[in-house]
Amino acid sequence: MPRPWWTAFWASLGYGILLLGALVAAMAYYPQFAENIGKFKALAPLAVLKNLVGELEEGGLWAYVAGQQFFKGCNTLGTAAAVLFAAGAVAGEANRGTMEIWLARPISRTRLLWTRYAAGAAALIAPVFWTTWTIPLQMRIFDVPGELSYGLLTLAALHQSALLLAIYSVTFACSCNGRHPLRIAFVVLFLTTLQFALYLVEQLTHYSLFRLTDVQHFMAIAKDGLDPALVLPLVGVSALSLGIGWWLLRRRLPL
Amino acid sequence: MGGGGQGASEGVAIEARGLARSFGERRALLPLDLDVRYGEITGLVGPNGSGKTTLQRLLVGLLPPTAGRARIGGVELVGEGVAVRRVSSYAPGEIGHYGELDLEAHLRFLVAGREARCLDRALEIADRLGLPRGVRVRGFSHGMKRQMLFAAAMAPEVSVRILDEPTEGLDPSKRAEVLAILEEDLATAKAPRAILLSSHHLGEIDRIAARLVFLERGRLLADERAADLARRARRLLRIRFDEHAPRERLLAAIDRLGASSLGWQGSTVAIELACDDPRPFLAGLVSQKDLPAPEEIAYGRLSLAELYRDLYGVEGL
Repeated sequence: MPRPWWTAFWASLGYGILLLGALVAAMAYYPQFAENIGKFKALAPLAVLKNLVGELEEGGLWAYVAGQQFFKGCNTLGTAAAVLFAAGAVAGEANRGTMEIWLARPISRTRLLWTRYAAGAAALIAPVFWTTWTIPLQMRIFDVPGELSYGLLTLAALHQSALLLAIYSVTFACSCNGRHPLRIAFVVLFLTTLQFALYLVEQLTHYSLFRLTDVQHFMAIAKDGLDPALVLPLVGVSALSLGIGWWLLRRRLPL
Repeated sequence: MGGGGQGASEGVAIEARGLARSFGERRALLPLDLDVRYGEITGLVGPNGSGKTTLQRLLVGLLPPTAGRARIGGVELVGEGVAVRRVSSYAPGEIGHYGELDLEAHLRFLVAGREARCLDRALEIADRLGLPRGVRVRGFSHGMKRQMLFAAAMAPEVSVRILDEPTEGLDPSKRAEVLAILEEDLATAKAPRAILLSSHHLGEIDRIAARLVFLERGRLLADERAADLARRARRLLRIRFDEHAPRERLLAAIDRLGASSLGWQGSTVAIELACDDPRPFLAGLVSQKDLPAPEEIAYGRLSLAELYRDLYGVEGL
């Protein structure tokens, strides 16, 4: 297996295990949560959180699973992984002085870029799917009542992946022009954390990027399937960012 | 010696015409014409910052030129130069490395995109240079990392090898080994091959290069055969006079005797003779009783570095 894929494999495995750990803890806790949901709603300190618990109460098991796996797990761990995988993709080569040997081989920059992008994207997206697909098994293990189809879980993972891929792609484009992966990671993580904070402010919640992957949207997927009006723009952002990254790498000096 | 690829000029491995590169306002390489021939090692010489690395990066397509064109191994340099890098190999002067890889994994990375046998040849060269296989590259010394890049650049079966200071930082025995590998590579090549080798150690490069290309401040200063240069060095004479000696009269006398004055350095004048035998000139000079007697005469032991200093006033070689 070529080097970028090995690196991506191990990074993906580590991030996937973290995501799975968070999901297992959430699934094991579900019976208690279902019993005490009224108390949680009363204790919620922010109006936005109170609404969120209300949505979980109304939405039942699927709302809880979507909230735990996607809104909480993927939006936090997944975003961090997206930023960390992408920030060093090209800027890391410049930072450690390997840009020249990376580019000096008889391999086109288009191929170098695509290989690196695809490896990171696969590492980011694969755990979203495989951890999500373990949910039915976990429901059996933890005696969680109810049923969730693989079709619904897959659609939800697709929707979540579109957002993560957009964050990854924008960071990747920044990396194609940068020399300091840590600086890129800090800036993008700060911006995404700010977006998460916006979600928790009732008056500003609609301006948050993470509004696109909150419980309401996953409830809508269960009812109407994937919404192309949401997913296609995210895919478009990814494609545009990749194009910008390609343009930047083609102009890049080997320094 | 034939050309290496389709459309190659007869015997010319690297053909650059008006090749230039600027970084903003700074002109790193002024428009330059260069021919590097097959079957030869061409030395690219110049002090630090003279444009050697910029020229080599241009030739392998790592830097786009701001003007001019180049043909390497019969392949026109266009775009990002992938086609050129298929017929050439390059050992960068800047040592980048992936410290977490061991020698074999690192060489595999460096020869990616080459023919299947390339890794084995790179490992053979690395073994010959005494590089340890089981050690991670982060444990390598500066010189060992440079030898690793050298081994990777010497492995592919290509028409042109472009090597940026491959002996820099190596101990004398390893330098000698690297130079021996270069000579063997050219002698045993199955197809026409040329090597462009840069160094700022003229004394080292003149031992193996058939031709010397001299850069200074981005300008091509000279492009001469090493044998011609050696002959010029043999004809170089330095004479020290008293510091109050009449310089104008001395220069006029040198001119009358058919030699060329290359200029004064302190109270020493450098002179290029018209022939290999200095005796007629010296006899003529000392016979002129109105001129001061020389205090010191140096002849026949001047290096090429001294020749360049005297010819072009360039220090740092």
